[in-house]
Amino acid sequence: MARTIMRFTGVGGQGVLLAGEIFAAAKIKAGGYGLKTATYTSQVRGGPTVVDITLDDDEIYYPYANEGEVNFMLSVANVSYQSFKSGVKPGGTIVIEPNLVTASDEDRATWNIVEIPIITIAKEEVGNVITQSVVALAIANTYMHAVDKQLLLDTMLSKVPAKVHDINLKAYDLGEKYANEAMAEA
Amino acid sequence: MGTREVISTGNELSAIAAVDAGCMFFGGYPLTPSSEIMHVISDLLPAKGGTAIQMEDEIAGICTVIGAAMSGKRALTATSGPGMSLKAENLGLAQMAEVPLVCVNVMRGGPSTGLPTRVSQGDIKQASNPSHGDYRSITLCAGNLEECYTETVRAFNLADRFMQPVIVLLDETIGHMHGKAMIPTIEEVEAGIVPRKTFDGPADEYHPYECEATEPAVLNPMFEGYRYHYTGLHHDKNGFPTEEIETCRKLIQRLEDKVMAHQDELELNEEFMCDDLTGEEGEVLIIAYGSVSLAAKEAIRHLRDDGIKAGLFRPITIWPSPAKKIKEMTDKIKNVLVVELNIRQYTDEIERASGRLDLEGLYKVNGRAISPYEIVNKVKEVF
Repeated sequence: MARTIMRFTGVGGQGVLLAGEIFAAAKIKAGGYGLKTATYTSQVRGGPTVVDITLDDDEIYYPYANEGEVNFMLSVANVSYQSFKSGVKPGGTIVIEPNLVTASDEDRATWNIVEIPIITIAKEEVGNVITQSVVALAIANTYMHAVDKQLLLDTMLSKVPAKVHDINLKAYDLGEKYANEAMAEA
Repeated sequence: MGTREVISTGNELSAIAAVDAGCMFFGGYPLTPSSEIMHVISDLLPAKGGTAIQMEDEIAGICTVIGAAMSGKRALTATSGPGMSLKAENLGLAQMAEVPLVCVNVMRGGPSTGLPTRVSQGDIKQASNPSHGDYRSITLCAGNLEECYTETVRAFNLADRFMQPVIVLLDETIGHMHGKAMIPTIEEVEAGIVPRKTFDGPADEYHPYECEATEPAVLNPMFEGYRYHYTGLHHDKNGFPTEEIETCRKLIQRLEDKVMAHQDELELNEEFMCDDLTGEEGEVLIIAYGSVSLAAKEAIRHLRDDGIKAGLFRPITIWPSPAKKIKEMTDKIKNVLVVELNIRQYTDEIERASGRLDLEGLYKVNGRAISPYEIVNKVKEVF
């Protein structure tokens, strides 16, 4: 496998960190290498946050994404989308939450912009906004096939309390469904 | 050698390492980007019968650590640059009184409050002399996740061997990055622990500071029947203040010599892809440490793909510096690039050690990491 670099962006407190940790851990369990870094501001909540996830079969040294090398980005906050979109390789996929992020025509010409209402799905269909990170995880893996789905689910379940396993599995299924629908439409 | 695979962050690994190395006390104050060390060890220590305490500030944190260490316990504090500035006075006390402790500094942008959540290596010079006066700092610098563990363990062993504070430098990148680390098993760490020396003769024959000119004091734990005095003043063989000329001279000279006479026990470096560097024209030696070395390794892969023979020299024991090794490497290779997340803080030391003033440098101080491509471009630009 060539190197896969994914970037999750949001604002502090949205839980984008966890999705990154799950990806890295699943890839490591599969025998490869995974690194997650998070960059955030001094602002505890509301500051732009970016999580870079690098997955490779070979050892990874530098943990951040190089500008222009990100294969896939997902964004649930406009401030973060605008700050970090430039890292994405031209032609790469950027999934945005359309209620919160605005992509320009120029952006749509540069990247494959996909609109999926991640937060609305988590809040209204899953029933708990916290599950947005798992919805995001499912969307990212459906697009990128970065790690084996079952391994990713097992890793995810190992990181959340047992009482919320069902709701997180539901969140994953919905994320996967919306991603597949978006791909079919494209 | 037994190893185990863990998936973790540098800060968490440092905390786990402390506990595995027999640390029984943590005292500190949470400070970004080091706070997770305190969070994790606060969970781990009580389960082992140890104590973790959040004090009112960083100064009180290190004071409690000094107290725990005087009582014979392995003790840790963790902070970032602003906390190091506050702890400086008491790091000096621990140097003077010869109290072994470990202080982890997860570096962030400075000076002052700086850039709390951003990476920097701005505390390199501070680590060599955090407090006033003459003494030799022992400072270890982790350059990957594994070393957040192994260097914390080594710091505890060196602190007890040399009876003084040992500083472990992490930085925001290493402290917060999350990935795989292959670390030694607990059994192996426990097998490597050498307890600090104690005196077991008659109490009236015990003179803790009466020791060889190149050896540390032998300080028995307090409250075990051996009485002596702790002070930051110049002191005699029993720890009581003195201004006697020869005693004062010998004491401070010994603080210097106990470290410098045993550099072979301290020095640890990594040479990455240096095997085929023979000194031919066009070869490039990059010198970097801490998280910057990760970008340098990636850069070396790219440079070699482009036909440029490059290698990395990385000091892990930063202070005392591996001066002889630096001289040897920089004598052999003409094109030397030093890469640091500060402005020349270690370059000055490399210039001193190498006797060369023609070293190239790449420095960054805006809280952002140096990328592999910036290093590649710099190499192509200057050599």
